[in-house]
Amino acid sequence: MTSRRGFLKAGGLALFGIGLGGVPTFVAKAAEMVKAPGLFQRRKTLVCIFQRGAMDGLMAVTPFNDEYLKVARPTLFMSAAKGSSNKPLIDLDGRFGLHPSMSAFESVFRDGRLAIVHGIGSPNNSRSHFDAQDYMESGTPFNKGTASGWLNRAVGLLGHDAATPFQAVSLTSSLPRSFYGDEPALAINNLQDFTLSMRGNPMAANMAAKSFEELYDQTSSDLLKETGKESFEATKMLKQIDVKNYKPANNAQYPNSSVGNALKQIAQLIKSDVGLEVAFAESGGWDTHFNQGTENGIFARNVNDLSESIMAFWTDLGTYQDDVTLMTMTEFGRTVHQNGTGGTDHGRASCNFILGNDVFGGKVHGLVDALANENLEDGRDLKVTTDFRSVFSEVADRHLNIHKDNILFPDWKGNHIGMMRG
Amino acid sequence: MKALIRFFYIPLAVVAAFLLCSSFLIKPKGKEKLAFPYQSQGLTDREAAMQLLSRFTFGPKPGDVDRVVKMGLEKWFQQQLEANLPDDSLNQVLSNYDAINRSNAEVAAEFPKGASVLRMAIKEGYIDKDSVNKGDKKEYREKLTAYMKMKGLKPQRELYRQFFNQKILRAAYSNNQLQEVMTDFWFNHFNVSITKNNCAQYIPAYERDVIRPNSLKHFDDLLLATAKSPAMLFYLDNFSSTGTNTNFENTHREAVRKKIEANLPPEAQKKLNLANKAQGLNENYAREVMELHTLGVDGGYTQSDVTQAARVLTGWTIYPFDEHGPGAAYKKVIDRIGEDKLAERGFVHDGDFMFAPNRHDNGEKVVLGKRFPANGGYQEGVDLLEMLAHHPSTAKFISKEIATRFVSDNPPQSLIAKMTKTFLDKDGDIKAVLITMVNAPEFWSKDALREKTKSPFELAMSAVRALNATIYQPYQLYTWIDKMGQKMYFYQAPTGFPDRGQYWINTGSLLNRMNFGLALASNRIPGVKIDLAALNNHHEPESSGAALQTYAKIIMPERDLFASMKRLTPLLNDPTLMDKVDQAASKSAPKTSQMEENKDSMMLAEASEAPNKSIGMGSKSKNKQNSFGDNTMLAQVVGVIIGSPEFQRR
Repeated sequence: MTSRRGFLKAGGLALFGIGLGGVPTFVAKAAEMVKAPGLFQRRKTLVCIFQRGAMDGLMAVTPFNDEYLKVARPTLFMSAAKGSSNKPLIDLDGRFGLHPSMSAFESVFRDGRLAIVHGIGSPNNSRSHFDAQDYMESGTPFNKGTASGWLNRAVGLLGHDAATPFQAVSLTSSLPRSFYGDEPALAINNLQDFTLSMRGNPMAANMAAKSFEELYDQTSSDLLKETGKESFEATKMLKQIDVKNYKPANNAQYPNSSVGNALKQIAQLIKSDVGLEVAFAESGGWDTHFNQGTENGIFARNVNDLSESIMAFWTDLGTYQDDVTLMTMTEFGRTVHQNGTGGTDHGRASCNFILGNDVFGGKVHGLVDALANENLEDGRDLKVTTDFRSVFSEVADRHLNIHKDNILFPDWKGNHIGMMRG
Repeated sequence: MKALIRFFYIPLAVVAAFLLCSSFLIKPKGKEKLAFPYQSQGLTDREAAMQLLSRFTFGPKPGDVDRVVKMGLEKWFQQQLEANLPDDSLNQVLSNYDAINRSNAEVAAEFPKGASVLRMAIKEGYIDKDSVNKGDKKEYREKLTAYMKMKGLKPQRELYRQFFNQKILRAAYSNNQLQEVMTDFWFNHFNVSITKNNCAQYIPAYERDVIRPNSLKHFDDLLLATAKSPAMLFYLDNFSSTGTNTNFENTHREAVRKKIEANLPPEAQKKLNLANKAQGLNENYAREVMELHTLGVDGGYTQSDVTQAARVLTGWTIYPFDEHGPGAAYKKVIDRIGEDKLAERGFVHDGDFMFAPNRHDNGEKVVLGKRFPANGGYQEGVDLLEMLAHHPSTAKFISKEIATRFVSDNPPQSLIAKMTKTFLDKDGDIKAVLITMVNAPEFWSKDALREKTKSPFELAMSAVRALNATIYQPYQLYTWIDKMGQKMYFYQAPTGFPDRGQYWINTGSLLNRMNFGLALASNRIPGVKIDLAALNNHHEPESSGAALQTYAKIIMPERDLFASMKRLTPLLNDPTLMDKVDQAASKSAPKTSQMEENKDSMMLAEASEAPNKSIGMGSKSKNKQNSFGDNTMLAQVVGVIIGSPEFQRR
């Protein structure tokens, strides 16, 4: 494999100086960097959240008039009728109801900024988590051998060289499959950890940093040398941001959860103008085979965490909202019928959420038939009526201005469904 | 007449079967002579010993190079191949871990899944079904915990923690290092993952009984053992893959079903037949066994071979040893009919494995051009795996993977060709393949030295070994290894962790490698203790420059580090540096370090099942940290060495 394409091709490196401390401020130096395209210029950012484990789309956004669903889910079906329970579904359009624990989403849906695509999924009918996640993240549902992830290819198609190590950042401990590939991408679990630390002895830490920088600069291994350079540049850039004392704007309240913390840090990066264009986070616990609950329970907790985190992020962004589109995804949906243990098993289609000012929101896009047995895939699952690549490609097209579908999603030829504005 | 034919044919068949089997059973012994051609590649004895140690151990301990040279390189390697050195002190430490020797059945009984516990508790009326996920959560949880205690049940995370700990302890302390390295290699080759819920609890036994004992034997035995293990059967879903056996269709229920189906309109019948066929077969294992375990993705098989192989392997499933697990109903049937009777009809019970002939597709199949006649039963699956294990594509694929692990990320074709030939000539004898590799000049080529990037696990283990660390809490190292990008046993895909430097080195993980070096060297990893002074026989280096030279030699023997370290010397020789560092250290707000100290103790408490004890350890290690931690200069020098690019390579 060839070495990764380095960032800072335009010589932006010099901007930060070599030593620690006395690093010039961005603004002062940015003026000198007219030739370096895009350094700290505000750009669009796409934020993707992968819901690992397969979210039950039929419980998140329920076709509540569907008599078949009522029968298939005797204890899991939820109603939108007022008074049917303490927390009925939030009626979105007379047909679909949003889970009450996602009430945070209601306002942005009504405002037309949040779109939902229902019946979304992969054309490959694998019901295996790892296959389906792999296919979704590589963007090639019938080819396991694809080395790169779709978001890495997206970065390559942005049309300008990365001016910053923060162009593509995943708030996870290792690089997700979506980010594999030739373009540099960072995996950082916690911005606060992204520094060399000698506890209680910052002077020693600085010394160590300097020593490491010298050593990595002269190693004969290109991989270590390049990655070392990326790391040191990134830490120096982060030093300019007061990572520890970040205060979300507009009284945004992030849940103290892994996805909440990830989104908080993404907001921080976006607002610090470090050149972030593609961000990635994960949310877990969606594999609800057992007692998934209705208005309370595992599922309710998960969707609450997810929607509260996303809305805190959105509030926190403030004036940056115009630059940001956020999209969720999950590898597949779950069975229409509930199983014997109060849960649902692996199915096919699910739904996803897209939030942004360039989104054609306030609508449940896609196609969901009546859930009669003959309309189900293999007699059990919600049919996939929208290929996930159609939605991903449309978002990349409209938000990031990426048009080369033949590279972004090789072997896909389909149409957009019009869930973005324009 | 018929009887006569039978009279003649039976002995013939027996002889034929014996001949056929013996070719598999009597393995040629890998008695290749060891002769390492390192001198022809310009390496000294010591350099060669270092190459050997960097490839076949989890890193040299101080003095190892001398020991190997003194003993003789070939002799050392032979000893490692035999893998029977006494490991008393390791076993002593491991004896504290009671769960790691449990059988699968015992694990299932003692460490049931959360869902099974709940089902049992509800069934026994201990917990009200309607109270699940309602009302007072704390009370509910306490009730469940009390129930588990009463029943002698333990949480699964305790099992996994012990399992992770033993992996780290074996890598750090086993005298049979090659066996541990090969166990790591084969586990990753035949990867199973804790992320897959139904296979997770069988993984400890999988590594212990399936992988380790076969790690230096014959490839076909290893393959067969993995195919029959509960961990693999669950992980790649083969346990559920079923076909139709026409010999078992004359039951009453089948007859009724047939009758109903016969009355359906032809179109519906066709659909039903298709559905029935699609429903039972699961191609997951059949595909991966060819793509990942044997032939390789370019090994020359087609989608049809995958489907046909899946049919061959239908009925390969788990013997129902877990009374709450899937297939428990099956056990009743087995007990009622009796295994002897079932064996007459082709049923096989071997440990935790079961071949269920009624779930086996008994039709004819063709895989890779080989015909498997109808009614082949269990044996045809064995024959299929034997065929795959001895296939030339497999020989090449496995040889390349071994060379990639032990030589470089892109091993030379000439070397792979030699190893492939041995693999085929010696019936997949793993030892013989390794011997061919080390007897080849390519292994000793200067291009191959330090060409591998250490995985986070290898980095942590080599650091611990190089510093002669004492590990009291291996789990602390596990979390560091996770932080550096390798969550061991959690790699979700059947490919296993990629064996490529590129995968391990990314921006976030690299900083954590440096932080790991600094934390380890300054005794700030709770439960892992090092004594830097003792490493140099308590001779204190005169300056930081001298410390760098001395310790680099101890930690990275046989490396010419002068050039790369030279640039550090002026930095370290700054006369005011010591003062600055000490000043900074004493000025450092005690509040902060106190807080972080507490955070660690909390982490410790979380990490251990016995919070009281570990908090005790935490405060003890805090005292120690102060006495050691004050020697920041030496600790820092050593930390920089561990985090340096040179130490990331092997």
